Amino acid sequence: MIMIDSADFLSYLSDNDFTFSTGVPCSYFRNLLLALEKDDRFTYLPATREDEAIGIATGYFLGGGRTFLIMQNSGLANIGDAITSLTQLYKIPLLIFVSYRGLEPDKDFPEHSIMGDVTKPVLDAYQIPYWVIKETNWKVVLDNALEVMEELSKPVCILVKKGVLSE
Amino acid sequence: MKGAEVISKLSTILNGEELIVSSNGNVSRQVYHLLQGDQIYLRGSMGLPVSIGLGLALAQPNRTVLVITGDGNFLMGLSAMTTVAHVQPTNLKIIIIDNELYATTGGQDTVSSTIDYITMIQGMGIDTARSFNMSDDEILISEMLKDTILEPGLNVLHLKVEEDTIVLDNIPHHPTKIKDNFMSRFS
Repeated sequence: MIMIDSADFLSYLSDNDFTFSTGVPCSYFRNLLLALEKDDRFTYLPATREDEAIGIATGYFLGGGRTFLIMQNSGLANIGDAITSLTQLYKIPLLIFVSYRGLEPDKDFPEHSIMGDVTKPVLDAYQIPYWVIKETNWKVVLDNALEVMEELSKPVCILVKKGVLSE
Repeated sequence: MKGAEVISKLSTILNGEELIVSSNGNVSRQVYHLLQGDQIYLRGSMGLPVSIGLGLALAQPNRTVLVITGDGNFLMGLSAMTTVAHVQPTNLKIIIIDNELYATTGGQDTVSSTIDYITMIQGMGIDTARSFNMSDDEILISEMLKDTILEPGLNVLHLKVEEDTIVLDNIPHHPTKIKDNFMSRFS
């Protein structure tokens, strides 16, 4: 399987004026995070919790900056109040990359199974537009997601399956 | 001294250029009614004022960012302080108004009374943490507030206060208006 090249991915984000990132790691983003931490075009700040990362990104936006976030879908459960009473309420645009755990490749990891089942319903319930990216269409999907993020001034989510950004 | 009186005292110390993030509930109402400027008055997102202040401080490194938070709110987002300590943003100032209560929801106890704030915050790696117990020594409180705002570097001030007896009116603006007013300060 061909993965998205992390260098291409980060160049795309840099070209779209992102200089700052925060979040909580997932192994699905291992390659990307390794590249991100070495890349002088970005500052990556590791947060202790996903809702904290939403708070940091919101503050960064209010100060005039742009943030992309990285988290596992388990983090979607942690960000409920931050999304509903902060980013949706104040209309804060954020680009959130979320690993789509709990699908077939995670069949031996039952801890992800229920969140895998409810990931899309949770995003629908939070009223967050979302897309699933593939190696073949990621630039077109991200162009569209960023357009929606700007137009609606709200968070958007990109779901990333196993093998798309890291083995 | 009560929490609202501490916040009132800040009005004589601030120069109007500071960017303030206030925690949801009574603290935001007090900051809205008692201090000047268009600030970030949080309505919800309990536990997040410190992290929002951190992000703001990173995006605006030449401005002083002041987080004013109650104890219940501060404790909910406690781990954000470890990130603040890791980053050491020199333009960030945090004031914890500690009445040991969830005052906005009717005065239920928080666990604040058992915490040694100085030891806890210094243990995270913030050497400049100060703590001051409830008192009516107005001159001393003013000096502590002044030092916290004006001394260079990451400063944290923990103040034990008495429970407020007056509840101020709700903030009249919708959160999108709060955001727009705040962001227009940069244009």
